Parts: sequence; structure tokens; C-alpha cells
Amino acid sequence: MRFLRVRRGNEAGGSDAVRLYYASDIHGTETLWRKFLAAARVYEAGVLVMGGDVTGKVVVPVVEDGGAYVAELFGQPERAGTDEELDALEHRIRANGMYPHRMNAAEVERVAALSEDAREAWFAEVMLVTFERWLALAAERLADSPVRCFVMPGNDDPHAVDGAIERAARVEGCDGRVVEFGGYTMVSLGYSNRTPFASPRELDEDELYRRICAIADAAGDMDRCIFNLHVPPLDSTLDTCAALDEHLEVIMAGSEPKLIGAGSSAVREAIERYQPLASLHGHIHESAGATRIGRTLCINPGSDYHTGRIAGCLLQLRPGGVRHQFVTG
Amino acid sequence: MSTTVSRDPSGAPGLFTRRATGLVRQGRTRDALFYNVMWSSVALTFAFFWILYPFAYQGSNAILAFLIAAALGLPGAFLYAMLAQVMPRTGGDYVFNSRALHPVAGFAANVSYCFWLAVVYGVYTTYIAAYGIGAFSRVMAGYTGSSGWLSFGDWFATEWGLFITGSAAVALSALMFILGGTRLFFRVQVGAFVLYILGAFLLPIIVGIFTGSGDFTSSFDDYAANLGTTDAMSTLQASASDAGYASAGFSFEATLKSVSVFWFIFGFIFSSNYFAGEIRLRRRTHLYSMPGAVLVAVLFLLALTPAYLNFADYDLNGMLGFADPAAYGFAAGAPAYPELAAIASGNALFGGLIVLGFTVGLLIWLPQTMLLISRSMFAWSFDRIMPERLSYVDPRTRSPVVAIGVVTLLAIASTAIYAFTDWFSTLSVLLGLSLTLLVTAAAGAALPYRQKAMVAASPYARTVAGLPLLTVVGGLAVLGFGAAIAILLWDPGSGASLSDNPGKLGLAALVYAAAIVVYFVSRAVRRRQGIDFELAYKELPPE
Repeated sequence: MRFLRVRRGNEAGGSDAVRLYYASDIHGTETLWRKFLAAARVYEAGVLVMGGDVTGKVVVPVVEDGGAYVAELFGQPERAGTDEELDALEHRIRANGMYPHRMNAAEVERVAALSEDAREAWFAEVMLVTFERWLALAAERLADSPVRCFVMPGNDDPHAVDGAIERAARVEGCDGRVVEFGGYTMVSLGYSNRTPFASPRELDEDELYRRICAIADAAGDMDRCIFNLHVPPLDSTLDTCAALDEHLEVIMAGSEPKLIGAGSSAVREAIERYQPLASLHGHIHESAGATRIGRTLCINPGSDYHTGRIAGCLLQLRPGGVRHQFVTG
Repeated sequence: MSTTVSRDPSGAPGLFTRRATGLVRQGRTRDALFYNVMWSSVALTFAFFWILYPFAYQGSNAILAFLIAAALGLPGAFLYAMLAQVMPRTGGDYVFNSRALHPVAGFAANVSYCFWLAVVYGVYTTYIAAYGIGAFSRVMAGYTGSSGWLSFGDWFATEWGLFITGSAAVALSALMFILGGTRLFFRVQVGAFVLYILGAFLLPIIVGIFTGSGDFTSSFDDYAANLGTTDAMSTLQASASDAGYASAGFSFEATLKSVSVFWFIFGFIFSSNYFAGEIRLRRRTHLYSMPGAVLVAVLFLLALTPAYLNFADYDLNGMLGFADPAAYGFAAGAPAYPELAAIASGNALFGGLIVLGFTVGLLIWLPQTMLLISRSMFAWSFDRIMPERLSYVDPRTRSPVVAIGVVTLLAIASTAIYAFTDWFSTLSVLLGLSLTLLVTAAAGAALPYRQKAMVAASPYARTVAGLPLLTVVGGLAVLGFGAAIAILLWDPGSGASLSDNPGKLGLAALVYAAAIVVYFVSRAVRRRQGIDFELAYKELPPE
């Protein structure tokens, strides 16, 4: 491994260098979760950070139909007549960030008839089954490893995941608190500012700022502090996305999407105030990049979760500085 | 946003979605289609054809030529649509090729594409001067008899007129981003599109429907009289005859060669793939907006060509190339299709709108292409092949100002080349651009074997006759792009033929070689800095 050479044994033990791998917004894509766990070994990272929006958005009913199963994928009906075909179909659904769920036609009708809140609760149950399997996979993959693996929910993740993270054997929660590794601290918050989607974890800017400050005040030396805030700072070039109309359709200006900054003013203000060593963000998939706000290196690796490849960033934390390298694995 | 249930009309059980961001952040098909049609310069290419017709393509049938070009480009349009769905990330062919073949292949092909796009700037800027502003001034003179308008217009066809006007247009495009950012650009673009469609297509089509060759001759003579020449059409015919013009019958060979011209449209009508990472597009959006743009361009041309031929037939276009323009009152140069349509309209307002619409279509291409090239530069910089500074985006304007500065300098240099030299012909950039298409087609064909998991998880995991669908479409695209390249190398009018301009193929190869050298030098430099940028392309094992 040539990149950002680190002396062996320097991982999280207070030595002079820590290699941290950050990724975010995998949205229920199992292939990406597996790759995230593999990043520790392949990139020789001592610390893994998943920055939010871990769970998926879509459940695909895989419905019994006369001895076979049918499901809709990419707008097309798919039919699986054998166990192998069924496994392959479910694998494709998972690989695209969706949850396959075997049901019969009556169950589909029952769920379709549920109230919105009841259906959200049903969705969380379905999602949690997969998420807990993921956490078990992490325990297996990282069993004999000194790697620290932090997972934070993001604005899209239902609250049900918090308990699962806390119960996990080899994954550590970090949301809403300060954690320490290798002589560095990390301030984490998965909530976002308000979005047009009314997702599960959204706050007004004032409250968001108050919560960030409350955590950051306990973090100590900002020269050795990383912010892990799901939403990027406002108008930072890490938050540029297409503007939406009232129907949540992209607004086009001429022949291209109209672009706006959808980041958080609270996050920006907090970075300007505390000036941590680095600040890690996700949330806006299409606005990958690195920039500086004052002396703080701000990173958004973006997300290509549809492609089966995980967009991430390697950070080399050294006394007095930080280097970064975007990686798509 | 609420939890929703989607039902497939085919009877499949549908989906359950929940409250989450991004579920419906989709681009509309018509917008991506609009981008592709606008950027592909249908009007400019139509002008090219008639300007080049007397010199290189006498006997060609325009309709057959553009249908062949469309057929050659169609598999590529499907392939780009599929690749944009499989790898929805900003950067277009750079992303496809670096992931499907090798990072150095992706970088070299994309550098080559950007290099030739920078060169083609000179075509647009000099056409803006000569056939845009210059023609507009002459139209005003033709309808008012003002010698001031005439001499003003004539200046734009001079070498310095071409260079200064073209450079000013490039500088204005850059300033628009630097001062007003993408927001200003987008606002300008909306108005430009309306004027473009009205002036370059709708009015000429309407004028063509209602104007026969007899009416046109009368309008032409009146117009030229205001420029100082009487009985201009007869003079034009006599001058062309003196210069050796003779009417030519249909020639399939000339038609096939003239496919070179229409390749300017159909080889590059799928550029919305460059912003596929910025805006998530539905599967059908890609399929409709890229191959669909081919269909729309064909329909535009099917309407415009007969309408234009109704008042300016093949013979007239042939004679315009042979006759001495000064003899029939057009001292600055023969008129192109917008000015001819303006003359046919018999009306200063409609005539002005036609030329303005055409000009605006060229003008708006300049900033559009700045954004396109800067997207590629951003991707190189993001992967650390090029310096970080190249991807600097101004937070206020959201413009990649450094990349735009680089493109501006290259565009002004290209304008100087086209204004003061004859190093490149109008079409000679097509060869270099098309080589990148060929690499992408090969990458598409190879993708199912190089990235099995990625393709298996995509909507294009199917096989056709035992071959992966992407391989089949990629193979057809190789054939289409390969045939177009063969025509460019065969056709002397392309400015890149092996017989007349063998150096152009060498230059295209040299650009690739230079990019490959840059890649490996950059890799060595980065490694000394402790960075291995090839990690950016390394696949992580999921198991």
C-alpha cells in the first residue's frame, strides 16, 4: 500500500498518524455495506466512519404466484421460478439499495391499505431485519481486528436503527456525542436541516446549531477534532444540488438543472466558529468535493450507491495537518 | 413526502417507499432531450452542409446523408443512455472508460475529447462573427439600404473581425460565469433557446413553405439592390458559370461522403450523459432523451431541408460556392442559410429574427461547452490526476472558475487559429472527437466482462443471443462510430482524410500520447507526495 503510508500499529492508539476511511449515504445497498467493511483491510484504515443514511428507501414485495415469485424491478416485472432464480432476484434487489420482502398477495393488499404512519412502522420493521444482519456481518468481519467502526444514522434513517447500533458488538454509535480515537475527537450529528421530503431526522437551523455547539463544546482541542455532521455547510460547493418544485421534480433552467445550495447554515456557522481540523459530510450525493472553510478541510465524498460502488474518502490525520484522497471502491 | 405505494400496470406487485430524501428528484425527459438537441448544433450543421456542398459534396442528397448519419449514431445514443444509467456520475466518458477499461484509457480519451472541443470553439466563434453578427448587419443593410450597416457588417468577415468578435464572445461567456454564475447562465439559456428555435427553425420552415424560387429571386434582387447591385441573381448565375459551375446529378458517393457533415450532430447528441451524476434520471429518461434526441433532430431536418430547398435549391447553393460574392453585391462573402432565409422572408423583422436565432444558438454553445469541459476537468482533479486548483468552485457563483479560465484561454487560441490560419477546416475536429466515442463504445462492449457485479445489478443485465445486452449495443456502437470514422478518413471534405490531411490522424494520436504521458507523470508525482490516485478506481471486494 503506497497511499499515505502509515507505520504499523499506529491505528487508534495515540500514535502520530491515524488513517480514517469515511463513507456515507449507502441507502440500504448491501454490496456497499460489505465494501465499507472491506475498506479497513484494503485501505489499511484504522478507523471506519459511516456518516449516515445507511438504510434504504424502498421495499420490493416478492410475491408468491403459483409456485413462483414475482417482483417489480426497474419498472419491469421479474419472475423467479426456482430457488436459484429467487436468490438471484433478491440479490439484485439488495444490490440496488432496496429490501426484498417475501409476501403473499393478501399481505401486499394489507400493507397498501395501512395508514401512512402504520406503513412507516411496518417499513422500519422490515428494514431492521436487514440492518441487524448487517451489524452481525460487521461483528464477523471485524472480530479479530483492532479497527474502530463508527456508524451514525442520517436524516433518512428511522429512529429504530439507533437501538440496533447501540446493541451491536463491533460497531460503535457516535451520533450526538463526542468519541475519541488515536488522540483525536469526533463530534457527530446525523440530523439535517429541513428538506422538502419531511424525512425522519430534520431540525430547524437554530436547533441544529444548538445541538452541534453542545457537543463541540465538550470536544476539547479543535486541532485534533473532526466534525462528522451528516449535512454539509451551506453554500460550500459541497451542497450543490438541483432545485425542486412543489411536486419534487427537478427545476430546469433552459436545458440544465437549476442548482442551489441545500446545505445547513448552522453547520457552516459551527465550522466557522470552532474551526476543527476536518469536517466530514454526506447528504448531497451529487456534490462530491473538498473545500476549506477557514482552516477546516471540509469533505463530501458524494454517493454513487446505485452503481454498486462506494464513494469514500481516506483521511490521514497527523499532528498539525490532514491529507485526503477520494476513493471509489 | 409521504410513504407511497407504487403499482405496476403490468400486474407486478409494485413497491413500497418511505419518507426519505431524493426519491423523486428526477429530471424530466423533455429537459434532457432539450439539452441534447440544443447542444448538438443542428442549425449550424445545416449551414455547414450548404456552405460545403459546392466544394465537396455536389450531387449529395442532404436528406439521405443525414439519415445515414443518424443511423450510424443511433446505437451510440442507446449505449450512452445505458452507460449513464449504469454509472450515473458526472464526467461522462471519463467515468465510463476509466472504470470499464483502465484509468489511463479514460483519462486519455477524455483529454482528447476536451482538447478537440476546445479546438472546435474557433468554428463557433468565427461563425458567430461572419454568419451571425456580420450577416445580421448585412440583413439590416439589405432591408434599409444603409451603407453604415453594410460596412459595419463587412468588418466582421475580416480576419481581425473574426478574431476580436470571437474572442469577445468567449470572454463574455466566461464573464457570465465569473460574475453571475450558473444562475445567470441558466436564465440566459432559457431566452436563447426560445430565440434559437424560433429563428433558426420555425421561421425558416414557415418562410420556406410559402416562398418558391421565383419569389426568392425577386426578394434576392431587391435585397442586393439595397447592397448596391442590381439584377443580382442573374449576375450570380453568370459568375458561377464563368467559374466553371455545372449542375450535378445525384451521387451516392457524394452523399456518403457528406455524412461527415451531419456527423457533427449525430455523433454528439447524447451529451446529457455529462450531467448524469448531478441529476438522477429515470431509465426511460435516458433512453428517450438520447436516442430520442436523434429522432427529434431528424424531424427538424426533415422539416427544414425541403422548406429550404423550396426557395434555395441544390443548384443555387452550388452556384453560391462558385460565384464571386462581390459580383452580386455580397463582398464580405456568400450568404449562408440563415441569411438566405432572411432574404426569402422579405421582411426586416423576420429576417433579423432568423439571423439572430441562428447566432444565439451559436453563442449559447460557448458557455454550455465551458461547463461540459469544466465537468471533465473537475473529475480529473477530483481523482487527483490534475491539481486540486483546477476543480475550484467559487462558492458564490457555483462556477468552476479556474477550469473556465483555462477553457477561455484555449478557446481564444482556437479562435485565433481559425481566424488567421487554415490549419483546421470546419469539420476536421470530428476525427479527434470521434476517436473518444470509439473508445467509449469499446468500453461499453467490455463492461459486462470488466464489471460483472455492476452490470448484474443494473437494469441491463439481460443477454441477447447469449451475449450481454451491453456488449451487443456496444458492438453496434463500435460499428456505427467506426463507420463514421472511416468516412471522415475517406472524405477529403472532412479536413481529416488520409488522402488530403494525413497529419490530422497523427495529431489525434499525439493528443492521446500526450495525455498518457501526463497520466503517468502525474501518478509518479502523486506517489512521491504519498498519494496513489489509482486507489480511486480500485474495486473493493464485497465478500
